[in-house]
Amino acid sequence: MLVSLKWLREYVDIPNDVDVDDLAHRLTMASAEVEGIQRLGAQWDRDLIRVGHVLQVDPHPNADRLRLATVDFGGGEPQTVVCGAPNLQAGQRIAFAREGARVRDGHSGKEMTLKRTKIRDVESAGMVLSERELGLSEEHEGIVVLPEDAPVGTPLAEYLGDTILDVHIWPNRADMMSITGIAREVAAVLGATVRPPSADYPTSDVPASEAVSVAIEDPALCARYVATVIEGVQVGPSPEWLQQRLRSAGQRPISNVVDITNYVMLELGQPLHAFDLDTVRGEVGVRLARDGETLRTLDGVDRSLAPDTLVITDEAGPIALAGVMGGQHTEVTPGTTRILLEAARFDPVSIRRTSTRLALRSEASSRFERGLSPDLAMEASRRATQLFVEVAGGTALAGAVDVYPAPAERTEVTVPRRRLDTVIGVHVPTAEVVSILETLGFEVLETDREQADGAFRIRAPWWRTDIGIPDDIAEEVVRLAGYDRLPAAAIRAAIPAWEPSPMPDLRDRVVDALVGAGMQETITYSLTTDEVLLRVMPREDLEVIRPLRLKNTLSSDREVMRPTLRHAVLETVERSIRAGAERIAVFESGRTYLPRRGGDTEGDGVLPEEREVVIGAVSGHDLDRWGRPTDRALDFYDAKGVVEALFDVLQTPVTFQAAEAFGMMRGRTAHLLVGEAPVGVLAEVHPDVLDAFEIGQPVLLFEVDLPSLLPHVGGRRAAQSVPRYPAVEQDLAVVVDAEVPAARIQAVLEGSPLVTSARVFDVFHDERLGEGKKSIAFAIRYQAPNRTLTSEDANREQAKLLKRLEREFGATLRG
Amino acid sequence: MTSTTDRIAEIERDALAALASAEDDASIEAWRTRVLGRSGELTGVLRGIGGLEAEERKAVGAEANRAKQVLEAALEARREAVRRAALASAEADALDVTLPGRPVGIGRLHPVTQVRRKILDVFERLGFQVIEGPEVELDEYNFGALRIPEHHPARDMWDTFWFDEEVDGKTPLLLRTHTSPMQIRHMQSHEPPIRVAVPGKCYRYEATDATHEWMLEQVELLAIDEGISMANLKGTLEEWARQMFGPGRKVMLRNSYFPFVEPGVEVAVDCFACPGDDPACSVCRGSGWLEMMGAGMVHPEIIEAAGYDPERYTGFAAGMGVERVAMVMLGVSDIRDFHANDPRFLAQF
Repeated sequence: MLVSLKWLREYVDIPNDVDVDDLAHRLTMASAEVEGIQRLGAQWDRDLIRVGHVLQVDPHPNADRLRLATVDFGGGEPQTVVCGAPNLQAGQRIAFAREGARVRDGHSGKEMTLKRTKIRDVESAGMVLSERELGLSEEHEGIVVLPEDAPVGTPLAEYLGDTILDVHIWPNRADMMSITGIAREVAAVLGATVRPPSADYPTSDVPASEAVSVAIEDPALCARYVATVIEGVQVGPSPEWLQQRLRSAGQRPISNVVDITNYVMLELGQPLHAFDLDTVRGEVGVRLARDGETLRTLDGVDRSLAPDTLVITDEAGPIALAGVMGGQHTEVTPGTTRILLEAARFDPVSIRRTSTRLALRSEASSRFERGLSPDLAMEASRRATQLFVEVAGGTALAGAVDVYPAPAERTEVTVPRRRLDTVIGVHVPTAEVVSILETLGFEVLETDREQADGAFRIRAPWWRTDIGIPDDIAEEVVRLAGYDRLPAAAIRAAIPAWEPSPMPDLRDRVVDALVGAGMQETITYSLTTDEVLLRVMPREDLEVIRPLRLKNTLSSDREVMRPTLRHAVLETVERSIRAGAERIAVFESGRTYLPRRGGDTEGDGVLPEEREVVIGAVSGHDLDRWGRPTDRALDFYDAKGVVEALFDVLQTPVTFQAAEAFGMMRGRTAHLLVGEAPVGVLAEVHPDVLDAFEIGQPVLLFEVDLPSLLPHVGGRRAAQSVPRYPAVEQDLAVVVDAEVPAARIQAVLEGSPLVTSARVFDVFHDERLGEGKKSIAFAIRYQAPNRTLTSEDANREQAKLLKRLEREFGATLRG
Repeated sequence: MTSTTDRIAEIERDALAALASAEDDASIEAWRTRVLGRSGELTGVLRGIGGLEAEERKAVGAEANRAKQVLEAALEARREAVRRAALASAEADALDVTLPGRPVGIGRLHPVTQVRRKILDVFERLGFQVIEGPEVELDEYNFGALRIPEHHPARDMWDTFWFDEEVDGKTPLLLRTHTSPMQIRHMQSHEPPIRVAVPGKCYRYEATDATHEWMLEQVELLAIDEGISMANLKGTLEEWARQMFGPGRKVMLRNSYFPFVEPGVEVAVDCFACPGDDPACSVCRGSGWLEMMGAGMVHPEIIEAAGYDPERYTGFAAGMGVERVAMVMLGVSDIRDFHANDPRFLAQF
């Protein structure tokens, strides 16, 4: 909300030693955040830019569109300047700048110093200024016309300058959506007093109730409706002071009738509506719309009304959407003379629902939906009626039609001293509590008398609709006492019982292991599209999963919750390639979102399964000694090395089983198994898939499904002592069918009690070995836990192992 | 006899001369084999003395042993000299220490992970247990139970992504806008005392710019016990700030509003990069304070709804944006960089 300091000062005295920054800071700390400070006219030279009086307007001798204005600026001889503004008239009070003043160029908007110049042969040494030239707005159609009573010669900075605070009002503070509401907070913060505006006005002898009657059908939706009647109103422009106030709050003046309602809304916080009383037929009602009812609103739109829409009616039907927008039929027009002024307290939920549904949220609805005090309706009704009398030439009928079926009691709260001290954490003395509450308008009916078991009994001011419980009072006290008064105290209590968190622990271990294996962690968005998902999963699967789909999206590439991470890591690889990375090793640990529909609809069963998955990718080339890519492209076994390192760190034996998977190359895909349980996949991504991601180089991908892995990690394993006896190392090369997996031969070798490890060190295919054969060589380490083995021991064992390999795989010793 | 001792002297003389010209380990080893080895020259002499008279054999033997000792000493000296010479030569042939090392593939945690872990480490030291919860939530947990009913204006504080399907045809699913739903979930399944920290992704239906992202991480704090006060909130967060940003850091609370706390505050930490008044400071921009989180005392209606006695138990809650803390700590100026995953960005952390 924009708050003019000039306007604010009408209701509260701000001491001179409190500068704007200080005030803004104190409001921000204790009340509401000041998000911005705009200083209007601070840059206007007090001597050179003043209120001027146009004494005379003459035609320019050499130009039709230009005229000569003779201006008195309250010092020295009047000056004659050239002026092109169409709205210039003799007698006007205007903003006048003399030679040397800093103003903005009316065309470029840039700052410049005003120089003596000749315009079409007529010398001009000053300027009658537009809003744009003053830096007030971009308006440059005409000059600024000041009120007729503007004192000639006054520095414009004094007359027109202002400071505007942009204050963020919390949704619970309906009372602060107004200049007087801010004034009350300023007064409390500064220890000053508030002066509410007067609302007295003369009336005719005719009571308003003779001109209008009101009936509220559902008091739950309209707690109070105050109607006043003003006759003899002349619709026209508002006086300049009122227009200026509206402009200071960022509103555009329209006509005196509209301006008065807006002014009072800004001043007091109560939205008002003015009807042309002559168009209202019979009794005014407040009720929910009925089936089939329609209303043409002020914006000319014919609206069919939903049955939960609160409307104002006359005998013929709806004449306004309550609190949201008026109807065209009862709109005030230039010919209107009799005004029916509405000030009401509508149900906040109803207003919010209607204004949201119709996309008609406004300054008015934002106040109603915060929940206004019914008392405010009467205050605002009186103030606005007064203004109709004062500035719109109207005559008010006596009194008001005030329909208020169940007048609200003021809120009373009993606050035990112990509660106050517990919540705040520091003792605020009774006298200070009382003084804080009273500066905020609370009545302290009883105090705790400084007793530990005492209590305060407090009555909230009518405007504080947000107060209800003792902790609300605690907040009032602590915010004004100052949060800097609080000590920084550690929690003095037992630490709650610790509970294990196996999944996050496993995830952190996996992440750390992958980082240790040289992988870069990444974080990508959880939302994607069907189109992207179809690149990495078959359509049938997508149709079964039916990923969760957003109703409201920010962009067309973020529509569904991802049921996989495969697309995400490929997008990361693509980005890395684009960024020039030569050796890519990236991974992400994140959730996939798998809807659970039907079935269990109790408790969390309704939520999708959020499954922790880790995905990694390797692509590009090995780097040489200089960090340049070598000819060796990273391949399946680079990615497998990472996976092996991961499971090594997890101390969980993993096996790799040739498999097939969607989007992966046949013959280059493996399932990861722990025991019999599949826990993930390792594969070279199919080039067709890579094409879809615009990746032109091989990518190796691995994926570990953490919920599948979880039951298999973390078991207790006794550490093995380092062997005490020396090992014998021997190599063994055998020829087997090409399909025989190395791991099966290795398993046989390592199954021997004398073998501590058998590592493959060479594999080759050669036609001399025979059709469909390969040679595979192992470095075998023989070692016994209880004695030193001789090479004869190793030879004997190796001969036995070779026989087994012959039997199981038809292996022959390579000659 | 003479001939044998002469022979020994000759071998000794020739061998010493030959050793002097051995310049490397290989030729020294060849020399050793030739002179002192099992079938070496000196050994040969010794082997041949078996036929000599006892006295002569003794004299020749002594002479041969003396020569062997001389040669062995010379061998050691020569070895040492050659080793020294090689070292001197290696040292003289200086490396260009400015040449790059061989590249090592370094793995790194994402900066947001680094900062999240640091945040959580501090809270764990302060006795908060880390728990996690669902990102896809029900209106009831994200809003309703947090005192933000439908059509409450406070809903405007959290622009929300909604899903196009409903549970039971009536309860809409949404992406949580904050980690606060876990306050409710945790309270439903636990009794006081409670001290938890909840990290996790949150989502906001709002346009992105340098300081706003639609996907973000939060860390939520919740502490409920007898006698918990705002001073405990301040003390906990100040200790956190000190462990995160250095000793002596202070926190500042100011009035704020969240429907699920009362009183509600914004929490700022004093600038760690400048004395607090440097208008050119890139971290605080001269304000001296860094806005870090929203916080407050858990609303007694929420305590009561959990089935706890609101007269007996009080608590505080706080929520901070991990990316926001990371931006301040790491000097990141555009929040969108965190999810762009450009390797040149990520390699900086």
